[in-house]
Amino acid sequence: MTVQVLSDVEFGMDLPDVEPDTSLEATRRFAEAVGYSGGGRFEDHGKARAQGLPGALAPGIMGMGLLTKVIHEWAPKGTIKQIDTVFRAPMLADHEHIVSAVVTDIDEDKNEVILDLSIKNKQNETRVFGTATVTLPGS
Amino acid sequence: MPDIEKLRSEFLDLEFDRTGFVIEADRSVNVAAAFGETRTEFIDPSHPNFQACLPILASLASGRRLPIDFPSLGGISMDGGKAVSSLAPVRCGVPLTGRTHLHDIYAKSGRSGTMVFLVSRMQLYDDAGNHLASTDSRQVIREKPA
Repeated sequence: MTVQVLSDVEFGMDLPDVEPDTSLEATRRFAEAVGYSGGGRFEDHGKARAQGLPGALAPGIMGMGLLTKVIHEWAPKGTIKQIDTVFRAPMLADHEHIVSAVVTDIDEDKNEVILDLSIKNKQNETRVFGTATVTLPGS
Repeated sequence: MPDIEKLRSEFLDLEFDRTGFVIEADRSVNVAAAFGETRTEFIDPSHPNFQACLPILASLASGRRLPIDFPSLGGISMDGGKAVSSLAPVRCGVPLTGRTHLHDIYAKSGRSGTMVFLVSRMQLYDDAGNHLASTDSRQVIREKPA
């Protein structure tokens, strides 16, 4: 389901959950694109474990990217004015995750929607959470 | 436990770094594609509103992480999060200047001890002096276990 204008948005509505690609290949590709690769923590489970990590990780800002993708697909005409992500715990590569968001406020004067955001693993443990402010056409 | 109020009074809102950037279009497209972005203004450089994606703005690093005279707090440092506030589209291939200051310093105590949060804010400007975006980096310093 998508929304085009502010009047399409209802308080408390959930954005469609998304199961993103957080495979090792995906975290490696993101790390290379953003310039974080080379140390192994995002590209190689063995090298990550040698650094004391539980395995290779998704870069924190990859979580921000996954959340922006979900918002952009939900609101094709929306603009993300602000996004704040808290890295509560590592997102492990090759583990499955669920990206969720819910509308927590609507400001009709500013044409803005506030979203609560989260990325959880399949054990329902929060890895990333945050908020976003999205502007939408009024009508 | 550091004196948070003293740190705040001495360091908040003072610019401690100024760094120049140019975001290459290919790099921004590759980052956006790597997290599955589908909006064309972020993945197609020929789009009339082509602009840098938000995560690449969050990846821009200042020359210094903290003011040069900021005291060592000890503990274990972790990346606690990132935020981006967008005021105008950030175009690729143009010179940008990032001015960084400490925006907030606070502490939280819980079962695992005290954590100090240092929020560095980089304000991004174009050559005309237009403020385009701000990015916050939240550094968490956790007490070492006794």
